[in-house]
Amino acid sequence: MRFQDLILRLERFWAERGCLVGQPYNSEVGAGTFNPHTFLRAIGPEPWNVAYVEPSRRPTDGRYGDNPNRLQQFHQYQVILKPSPIDIQELYLDSLRALGTDPLQHDVRFVEDDWESPTLGAWGLGWQVWLDGLEISQFTYFQQCGGIDCKPISGELTYGLERICMYLQDVDHVMDLEYAEGIRYGDVFQRAEREWSTYNFESASVDLQRDLFDRYETEALRLVGAAAKKGKGGKLTWDVEDPTKRLVLPAYDCVIKCSHYFNVLDARGAISVTERQRYIGRVRHIARAVAEGWYAQREALGFPLLRNGEGTHG
Amino acid sequence: MAELLVEVGVEELPSSFVASGRESLEAAARAMLAAQRLSHDGLEVLGTPRRLALRVRGLPSAQADRRETVTGPPWTAAFRDGEPTKAAVGFARKNGVPVTDLAKVETDKGPYVAAEVHEVGRPTAEVLAAELPAALGRIAFRKAMRWGEGEHAFGRPVQWLVVLLDEEVVPVSFAGLDAGRLTRGHRFLAPSTFVLASAAEYEDRLRDARVVADVAARTALMNERLGVAASALGGTLVDDAHLEAECASMVEEPFVVPGTFDEAFLALPDALVISVMRDHQFYFALRDGEGRLMNRYLNVVNTAEAPALIAKGNDRVLRARLADAQFFVTEDQKQPLEARLPKLDTVTFHSKLGSVGQKVGRVARIAERLAADVGVDADLAGRAARLAKADLETLIVFEFPDLQGLMGRHYALREGLPEELADAIRDHYRPAGGEDDPPDAPLAAVVGLAARADTLVGCFGVGLEPKGSNDPFALRRAALGIVRTLLEGPVDVGLTRLVDLAAAELTDAGHFDDAALEGQRRVLEFVRARLRALFREAHRGDLVDAALAAWWEEGSGDLDGGLSPRDLRARLVALEAFRERPEFDDLATAFKRAFNIAKDAARGAVDPHLLEAGAEADLAEAFTAAGPIIREALDARDYTVAFETVATGLKAPIDRFFDEVFVMVDDPRLRTNRLRLLAAIADTVNAAAHLHLLAPA
Repeated sequence: MRFQDLILRLERFWAERGCLVGQPYNSEVGAGTFNPHTFLRAIGPEPWNVAYVEPSRRPTDGRYGDNPNRLQQFHQYQVILKPSPIDIQELYLDSLRALGTDPLQHDVRFVEDDWESPTLGAWGLGWQVWLDGLEISQFTYFQQCGGIDCKPISGELTYGLERICMYLQDVDHVMDLEYAEGIRYGDVFQRAEREWSTYNFESASVDLQRDLFDRYETEALRLVGAAAKKGKGGKLTWDVEDPTKRLVLPAYDCVIKCSHYFNVLDARGAISVTERQRYIGRVRHIARAVAEGWYAQREALGFPLLRNGEGTHG
Repeated sequence: MAELLVEVGVEELPSSFVASGRESLEAAARAMLAAQRLSHDGLEVLGTPRRLALRVRGLPSAQADRRETVTGPPWTAAFRDGEPTKAAVGFARKNGVPVTDLAKVETDKGPYVAAEVHEVGRPTAEVLAAELPAALGRIAFRKAMRWGEGEHAFGRPVQWLVVLLDEEVVPVSFAGLDAGRLTRGHRFLAPSTFVLASAAEYEDRLRDARVVADVAARTALMNERLGVAASALGGTLVDDAHLEAECASMVEEPFVVPGTFDEAFLALPDALVISVMRDHQFYFALRDGEGRLMNRYLNVVNTAEAPALIAKGNDRVLRARLADAQFFVTEDQKQPLEARLPKLDTVTFHSKLGSVGQKVGRVARIAERLAADVGVDADLAGRAARLAKADLETLIVFEFPDLQGLMGRHYALREGLPEELADAIRDHYRPAGGEDDPPDAPLAAVVGLAARADTLVGCFGVGLEPKGSNDPFALRRAALGIVRTLLEGPVDVGLTRLVDLAAAELTDAGHFDDAALEGQRRVLEFVRARLRALFREAHRGDLVDAALAAWWEEGSGDLDGGLSPRDLRARLVALEAFRERPEFDDLATAFKRAFNIAKDAARGAVDPHLLEAGAEADLAEAFTAAGPIIREALDARDYTVAFETVATGLKAPIDRFFDEVFVMVDDPRLRTNRLRLLAAIADTVNAAAHLHLLAPA
């Protein structure tokens, strides 16, 4: 199965099961979770079912295109089912069958995995799914997002597309994957891996990344109307009281930017152990402000997707 | 007699949850049955990743009746002039008996009202329906989660619920589900649901559906299949109890699929290859007949319809994992350990105690001086201590923290550093736990002692003492490591010396002020508490305390070598033997008396002219002879001789003295002199052990 056929099959599979076919976000994200389709929609009572590809950037994982398994940008296929249906595991296994992988012929296991994103103030419990010893997906029940308890709970399925495809095509090096007829993965991304690895590890301007981080942090707080410091009891204090007057979505883009610049600085070796925790705390603070801003705004709007009753699509 | 089955069907539980879920279910069920007066012939809890089950055999059809005498208000408050008061009426109503049935009982506090309560037991099914939900609610996990609408919490989402009392469904609701008789088999091998006709057929029906529900039976089956697979490959399993428990809790029926990796990876240290396989993939390693690691492994899986396909996939994953490890090792070896030391300066050990690099510097200097004390090459000790933590900055230890020390040794040997230095890098962490031994080599022992002393004295000095169970710097383990190294290891050092050396380095480095130095005494007391607990595991408590008190009094002021743990052990062992002698009890009584009379008396020289002829003069004479022998034996730490001399030289005279001599005479000069004699004897014996702390036999 070619790389693009894998994507197409998953798109069709989840569209047929009532998911909105979403699109990647147009900013640098570390995972599909950062896409507003997941991070914001997992918050609050509104139902939401979506599936999309997410090109995900992990600057520290870059290996100049040399390593058979590691990339600074790889592709996730992300599915959010909210509330998580009781047959979510069976749905997931059916998706493997749709890819031509019969679980009975393989060893498919759900191996404990606690997921946490300290920068997003989000965590969940679930599994890594193993196919013959290979981790092919992460399967998470979101418990908290942006510091807010989730209710209902979103089930998040994240497929590692390159890994799954390498398994299906039986190739040992990611660059050897057949992406489309006559086009290898390496034809598309080899040069990008080399350039971005060089940029992330050697060339990115540390001063610029630090400056951008600071400025986007300030911008996020300004847009969402929150104060930089927490008030008594760790509560957020708001400069803009009316939730509908806050620019939550542009503020969230700033969170994504800050998270990305932090990752580049990290890859660049520019962050000491003690600085690290502070940077993470700063991103978490603005992520939390955006999460609470989003919730308040949806509430003020009367949680529009609740009006449709149960399933929003499909 | 009825049999109960409760099965909570879940999505795959983490392996540790299978154990904690079973334990808490068992405890909750036992407590509930006892509280509900339901006897039984046996209770067991079963568990797989997909189910926790409770089976109780031999339940009665109903609760036992309750007959009890309940005491109420005082009689005088319950009846006035023969008429029941409000208190009596209320008490009778509460216990469901007529006022006329209230009886009078005599108690320590006077007459009280009593009621004979008789409660008829309810049917078992009714009790279970009412009580099981709360009992199931007490199943505990390290972390619970919610799912779906988020209304319920459990270790993983609950999928089905079976509650059967013999053939009947007990109407129980839990986690949003109503109990029924529908269960499920193995997720892939027997995926359909099926009906259970009775509680009794549970395990057999599950076995048919490819589920071995009992953990012990599943573990046994897994081990049997592992053994068969290992023999087929001509190897034996590398034992790993933790991995065994983990794997048994990850499958419903254990299958074993062997796999292979490239022999070239065997050039990596065995422990690394084993860690890669175990930590990342849960594979069992194999050794051949000569004990060499094989390039084969065994994989416990949940489904094995197509073993070749499964092995192929796993081989590929392991190849990538081992290639990563190889890459890290190759990268690590591009620079020597020494070159990593500056990196340690950038890692904070604690804000008040400086960087890890600074700590390493202190430890090296402590190690040099300790080495000189015990006849180990001081330069080598300093070098070993400086390099001991260098591997913390390597890629491989970052990836496999458990391999700290071990990889440092590997790199040190590759660099051509002396073998004993390399060994010290690995072994200074020992003992790694209660199961592990301290290092055999003096060099490793010295480095380990120095590192732990710095941690302990440093943390106490800046106020980081453990509080309750909160011990983030693992200071209890550090103290126990010091104690066990000094007792079982190759070097004998006094605790005062160790603490003093560490404190001197911390002071020189500017981390300590005068207040911090006060922490040293608390460190010694902390270590003493560990020693006391350790010895009390194997010896009588009063013997430990008697030896410990003397050891502490003699040693805590001696900064050069005081408070050697081995000295304490020598006292204790001699005292224990001494205690077995027939004359011991009389002796202990006599010395207790001497100690009690003399404990507050002023010390001073005995004036021979004031001694009364007879028992007193004889005792003084006996002590003049025995005293120097005892003191000499104490200096030589030969406590057997010391106690022997006390027994043979002093027992008879002191017994006679107490029989014949009255100490507290009116003449102050005579009295003072007698007290001085007794004090001198008591002090001498006390230097060996505080016999007055011994309990009567």
